[in-house]
Order: sequence, then C-alpha cells, then structure tokens
Amino acid sequence: MNGVSYVELWRALLPEGCLTLGALLVLAIDLAAPASRPAAARRGAATALALMALAASAWATVRAGTDGAAFGGVFALDRLTLVTRLGVIGLALLTVALAGNLSRLANAAEYLALILFATAGFTLMAASNQLLLAFLALELASLSLYVLAGFDKTRPESAEAGLKYFLFGGVSAAFMLFGFSLLYGLTGSIAFPEIARQLAAQPPSALLVVALVMVLVAFGFKAAAAPFHLWAPDVYEGAPVGSAALIASASKLAGVAFFARLLWAGIGAPVAATWLPVLAILAAASLVLGNVAALAQSNVRRLLAYSAISHAGALLLGVMVAGRSPGSVVYYAVTYGLATVGAFGVIAALEAAGPSQRIEDLAGLHRRSPFLAGCLAIYILSLAGIPPLAGFLGKFAVFADALRAGGLTGPTGWLAFLAIAMGAVGLYYYLLILKQAFVAAPKNGAAKIFIPPAARLALGVAAVAIIVFGVAPGLILGAF
Amino acid sequence: MNLSPLHLCLLFSSALFCVGLIGALSRGNSILVLLGVELMLNAGNINLIAFWRFGPAPAEGTGVLFVLFAIAIAAAEAAVGLALVIAVHRHQRNIRLQEANHLRG
Repeated sequence: MNGVSYVELWRALLPEGCLTLGALLVLAIDLAAPASRPAAARRGAATALALMALAASAWATVRAGTDGAAFGGVFALDRLTLVTRLGVIGLALLTVALAGNLSRLANAAEYLALILFATAGFTLMAASNQLLLAFLALELASLSLYVLAGFDKTRPESAEAGLKYFLFGGVSAAFMLFGFSLLYGLTGSIAFPEIARQLAAQPPSALLVVALVMVLVAFGFKAAAAPFHLWAPDVYEGAPVGSAALIASASKLAGVAFFARLLWAGIGAPVAATWLPVLAILAAASLVLGNVAALAQSNVRRLLAYSAISHAGALLLGVMVAGRSPGSVVYYAVTYGLATVGAFGVIAALEAAGPSQRIEDLAGLHRRSPFLAGCLAIYILSLAGIPPLAGFLGKFAVFADALRAGGLTGPTGWLAFLAIAMGAVGLYYYLLILKQAFVAAPKNGAAKIFIPPAARLALGVAAVAIIVFGVAPGLILGAF
Repeated sequence: MNLSPLHLCLLFSSALFCVGLIGALSRGNSILVLLGVELMLNAGNINLIAFWRFGPAPAEGTGVLFVLFAIAIAAAEAAVGLALVIAVHRHQRNIRLQEANHLRG
C-alpha cells in the first residue's frame, strides 16, 4: 500500500479512537479512585465518562464525512457507514443510560468499558471494506459481547448464557474465517471491490458456493436467524439486562449493515444467484419459527428473543433487496433497535423493583407506573408494526423494496407476503403483553415503580424517537 | 489422480475443519468443544497460508498477515472462553454442557 495517508487513517478511525480511549479512561479512573469512595460515586463517574466518549465518537463520525474510501480502500466512508455508526452509538448511549440496575453488578466501570469496546467493534464493522478488518471488527464486538453476557457473576443463568453465546459464536467465527479464506483463495484479494470484480469475471464454482454458505452461516448466527437462533432465547433470558439490550439492538444493526456491504459490494450482484436462495430460506424459516414459537412463551425476555428471530427474517429480506440502496433495511434495523432497547429498559426498571420474568409480572403496570406503561405500549406497538410508529414504516419500506425488486410473484415478493401474514400472528403475542400491562389488575402488594432520572430520560428519548422517525422517515431514509 | 500441493493443503484443511466441527458438536465437555472450535479456526488459517503460498502474488503477504491476526484472535477467544468456563464451573461445580440447562423454554 503505497501513498496511504495517515491523516486519512486518523480521520477514519477517530470514532473508534474516542471509544477506545474512553474505555481505557473509564478503567483507569476506576482503578485510581480510592477504595473509600462510595460505589455510587464511582459508578456515576464511570457512566458520565462513558456517555462523553460516546458523544465524542458521534462527533468524530459526523466529522469523518461521507466521501468514499479511505486509507487505501480499507475503510468505506459512505452514507451507510455514517448512518450505521451514528445508529449504533445512539443505541449504545441509550443502553448505558438504561442499564439502570448497574447497582446489582459489581465492577460497573468494567461493564461500561466493555460496552464501549463492543461499540467500537460495531462502528468498525460498519466502516470496514476489507475481509481482515471486517473479521477483526466482528471479533472485537463478539468477544466483548460474550463477556458482557456472562458478566453477572452472582447468577448461574448469566454464566450459562455467556458460555452458550460464546460456544455458538466461536463456531460461527470459525465458519466465517474458513469462508473468508476461500474467498481470498478464489480472488487473491481481501478488498471488497476487488473480490467483486474477480468473482464477476470467473464462472460460478462449487468452491464459491461453499465459501458463501459458510459466510451466510456466520451471518445467520449474528442475526439470530433460524436455524442458527438457538443461542438467542437463552442469552436474552440469562444475560444482564443491559447486555441483552446491546446484543439485541446495536449488534443487530452493525451486523446487518456489515453483511449488506459484504454481500452486495464485496461479493456482488453478478453472483447473487448463488447466495440469494440461501438467504431466502433463512429468512422464511426465521419468519415462521420466530412468530410461531413466540406464541408459547411465558417469559417476557424469551418472548422478545423469539420476536427478535422473526424480525431477523424481515432484516434478511431487507438485505436481499439492499442492492440498490441499503436505506430501507438500515431504517428497519435502527427503529427495531430503538424499540428493543426501550423494551429492555422497561424490563430493567421492573426487575429493579422485584423479580419479573413472566408476562404476568407486568400486570397492572399502568397503575404502578403510567409512564413506563405508556413507553412500553409505544415500543411494543412499534415492534408489531402499527402505524404511525417507526416499526410500521420500517416494514413498509422493506416490503416495498422487496416488491419492487422481484415483482408480486418474485421470490422476494412471496417472502414479503409471508412476512405480512406472520406479522398478523405476531400481533397476538405483542397484544398479550399490552393486555397484561393495561387491562389486568395489579397483584396485591405491587408497589409503585421508581425509575432513575437517567433511565426515565432515555426511555422518553427512545419513545419520542420512534414516533419522530415514524412520522418523518425521511430523516434516515433521506440520507441514502 | 494428480494432486497439486494446493489441493493437498485444501483437503487437509477441510478434513481438519470437519474434525473440529464434529468435535464441537458432539462433545459434552465445554473445554473439548473449545478445542474443536480452535481446530476449525486453524483449518481456516491453513487455507489462508496455502492460498498465499501457491497463489498468484505471494510477494504481497496478505494471507500471512491475515493468519497472524487470526491467531491473535483465536488466543483472545480462548482466554474469554476459558474465563466463561470457569464462571460456569463456580456455579455448577463441573463443566458438562448437559448440566448447563437452567435456561430453557
């Protein structure tokens, strides 16, 4: 790589630099603080530092601009990068503010530092335009998330969730590395544009199919698509609530943006016939399995996990039609992330007030905290896709692209119809949650719920953002 | 049948990947599953080295650099994995995956 500019590298990497520096500062200050200081003060300082690092990273992201490739084509600084980076940073901000019951976790500073490292991985995933950087970014994010999932040392469920997530993730990382190595062998390059050029020039081979299937297995794992979803319910249930929120929201958004770039810019439309069918099968399986299995759940977190699997189906459909513009699928992922973070925030507030894993524990939420119940209604209705909330417009944008891409009777058109039909099934279990929250009477002795101010602000911001993006989708869609 | 060195390397790495995958899927001991995952990662590394060595541009060194990073990642992954195994061991006093079943439904 001759003539690469380190000024360019600095500009492209500044968002990750802010996050990494912030994480190290959070750790260092917590280490240097005298042990006599109360835990609450140390936690507050660490949280403030983490929020500042995220804000600085957002500023650096905007400053990096959208003028194409940087540092010899290793980074892609385009609109997809910009919107995805800002999206994951925003979701991480909400997660940090909402992870209110950090008080239950020892070592809050380490927890926040890991969230920052994971976010650096996400933003790097969004920007990477080369196999090596992509692999490193994905592993940085994944390794941080494994630890976050198993962070609560006092609960056996958390350790078990972390181990399961790690074992599934490790296998998928190995699949991905093997697939990447075959892509490198087929094309002699690890840069996305060069890979696409080489693959378009050669006839489709069996080796290419093997490589793509391996990469898609890894994608299926990352997006929690059936049949690679087995980790999701266990992790959503067992992990600390902040970790589960991050895994469910920012990690999804970064994964979708990264694989949309890898599949369309890196592998390319000329050989799309080899990978679109695989993606279509994964999407259809996720839509059906996620929605049907969610009907049987009695645990709120597991229900959200199966809802996530069904949304993964729609996201895969969005990736299938992202060739012309990834706008609709990114919009879907951002709005889905907002609603999920919010829902986990409500769960965090409930769990701080007492044990609550079952749907019945939501009973009478409108009496115990009208604010919480109102926010929950917005999140759940957005997940179900009720207009005018953002979840509806996300679905609308993805399905419109799907119909435009293949017509009414094309494979993507059929998938859109399947998704709409399954959305009707999904409405049932989403309304079950709301029925408990609004219709059922509170249990005897259920007290009012106290929500910390930061969490209250974050919940409100998430709810308002869902409404604003729903009323004015051009804020995100117009950026592409 | 006349196999080039590249073919032999690919056959070897594919076999290694399959052995690792079977090990990861069939073992009940989480450390042995971890070993299987490491075998699979190393199969990918062998691929990269082989494609670099017998590829059109060995002077660039892309494959070797990729492998160096991948080895570092594998080491980090093993560290995180063993830490999680220890965390599970603290609670259930063994590391059998069959008994890690608090979460189900």
